[in-house]
Amino acid sequence: MIRLMIGGSEHAVEIIARRPQLVLSVDGQHHVVEVIAGAGDGIQTLRIDGQTMAFRRAVADDAVWLRIAGRTEAVTPIDPFAREQDKGAGGDDVRAPMPGLVVDVHGAVGAAVARGAALITIESMKLQTVLCAPRDGVIAAVTRQPGDLFARDDVLVRLEPVVVGE
Amino acid sequence: MTRPPFARVLVANRGEIAVRVMRTLQLRGVSAVAVYHRADAGSPHVAMADQAVELVGSGPVAAYLDSAQIIAAALATGAEAIHPGYGFLSENAAFAQSVADAGLTFIGPDAATIALMGDKLSARAFAQAHGVPVAPSVAFDGDFAAFETAVAAVGYPMLIKAAAGGGGKGMSIVREAAALRETVRVAASEATRYFGDGRVYAEVLVEQPRHIEVQVVGDGAGAALHLFERECSVQRRFQKIVEEAPAANLAEDLRAAMCADAVRLASASRYRNVGTVEFILGADGRYFFLEMNTRLQVEHPVTEMITGLDLVSLQLDIAAGAGLPFGQADVVATGHAIECRICAEAPDRGFVPATGAIRHLTVPRAPWLRFESALREGQAVTADFDPMLAKLVVHGATRAQAIDRAGAALADLAVLGLDTNVDSLARVIAHPAFTGGALHTGFLTEHADALAAPAMDDAAQAAFLIAAALGNHDFRQLVDAVPEPYASLGGWRN
Repeated sequence: MIRLMIGGSEHAVEIIARRPQLVLSVDGQHHVVEVIAGAGDGIQTLRIDGQTMAFRRAVADDAVWLRIAGRTEAVTPIDPFAREQDKGAGGDDVRAPMPGLVVDVHGAVGAAVARGAALITIESMKLQTVLCAPRDGVIAAVTRQPGDLFARDDVLVRLEPVVVGE
Repeated sequence: MTRPPFARVLVANRGEIAVRVMRTLQLRGVSAVAVYHRADAGSPHVAMADQAVELVGSGPVAAYLDSAQIIAAALATGAEAIHPGYGFLSENAAFAQSVADAGLTFIGPDAATIALMGDKLSARAFAQAHGVPVAPSVAFDGDFAAFETAVAAVGYPMLIKAAAGGGGKGMSIVREAAALRETVRVAASEATRYFGDGRVYAEVLVEQPRHIEVQVVGDGAGAALHLFERECSVQRRFQKIVEEAPAANLAEDLRAAMCADAVRLASASRYRNVGTVEFILGADGRYFFLEMNTRLQVEHPVTEMITGLDLVSLQLDIAAGAGLPFGQADVVATGHAIECRICAEAPDRGFVPATGAIRHLTVPRAPWLRFESALREGQAVTADFDPMLAKLVVHGATRAQAIDRAGAALADLAVLGLDTNVDSLARVIAHPAFTGGALHTGFLTEHADALAAPAMDDAAQAAFLIAAALGNHDFRQLVDAVPEPYASLGGWRN
């Protein structure tokens, strides 16, 4: 079984039978699948429930990119282990909404910040954006310095909870 | 072709435009010198050149802006001229002057013309002095109270623009007096950052404007002519993504007036080489001078396709002193051309630029199609440069045919491995407002809902999930695994 994300929703694909024909279940729905030899030039073909479907596929580091019938989608396999890891950090990370460059860092590690406080100013497409604290907290880490480049979804600032008393 | 205009030319650029310029250099028998930053060492423009010189510097962008190193590379390789492409140093008057001072030919206008047109205020004044309509505006000289009063007198909404800006950078809309002070402060600060010049001014905002530009060419001695107009109204973040020539539904008298104004401006400035005069056209038929781009434009191929001319070849001849090789009557427009800019960006997330790597590339081919790129499979796409990856340009006998061909070509194109706007472009050109020629620069915003990716039905989604699962190494191994009972029998695969 493999769990996959497409367009923000999660799905399961399972092998039901391999012979005499390959049957896969997608979210419980069975489909008869026939893999047809590639026609060259990167075009591959599948027959799903009797319907022939040409597609192009590229496997990148974290996603399978597909183009089918004029539509391009990235399908991401979900690694259950990675998801557990992510949970612990959820909500504490300020991630880059787009790739770009750090212009300014507004707080040092250890500084207490209120929700909405400016943490870091980034620049992308010649436009500056200020990323703010998603909640009250203490800056636990600043992963980039002014002038550093980052990719989309990179963690730029990490918050930890405010410790109130003992 | 005729005798080569130069023996050797250095191309001070990268990416698709460097490749495109070198193609004409090769056609004309001119030896091509590339410059490159280490990050581009494997790029097609380096492979294509007869010689390549590495630029050393702190970062890739800084390298392509290092005029001293580029001029030194030209001198060291014996290049006689430098083609700047677009962007980078192409509209840098100091660079053009340094090239001339080094005894080399700058393939473009002279430094004084670049400076005149590069400063929005001086360009505006020049246009106005030569009878080219300009939008009412108010300069900001530091006295905010006076500025506020003058802006109120012209009337909101206004556009705050950087005097040294261009390409849509450093512009913001202000719709009410209360927002003026903060908008001006931010605009001046951004202008200082990006252009090293904090001067800003306010200009009347034309609502639902069309962006129409006229391609001009001049000999530097006052002779100038136009190569018709282009429409570049489909924009996001003030930057063009679909361009066409000629403009759709443009009244003949307006077209003639705009072309005549552009030629008058080029002639009056004794413009040398190719350039573009940009206008905004309001729904009321009023049009205003926007700016003049003193270089080859990204979208020049649509003009080449309708006129049959090679603008880079024309640039070389003019730079070599050959003058204008034809007259206005010789320039004839045939059919219709459309360019789609293929960008690494996510249209469904506000067109934010995307990074990643090209994992698969399929390029459509047809006699009426040009795919201008410097892409290759495996290539990394970083945030260092503009997100434009390629240009898909098609020609058709009619606008309808050009749209059909562009749609078919976009359907055949596959750029996989990172977010691109390919599917979004296909929806743009198929939209009834586009096919009907009802364009304005807010087109993408107005039709955002209709242009968003449509929901997928279950069958389509299952197809994606099955194809993806079979592309996953571990899952595929499970599919291909020999089930126990068969394995013991042997030869089960036939």
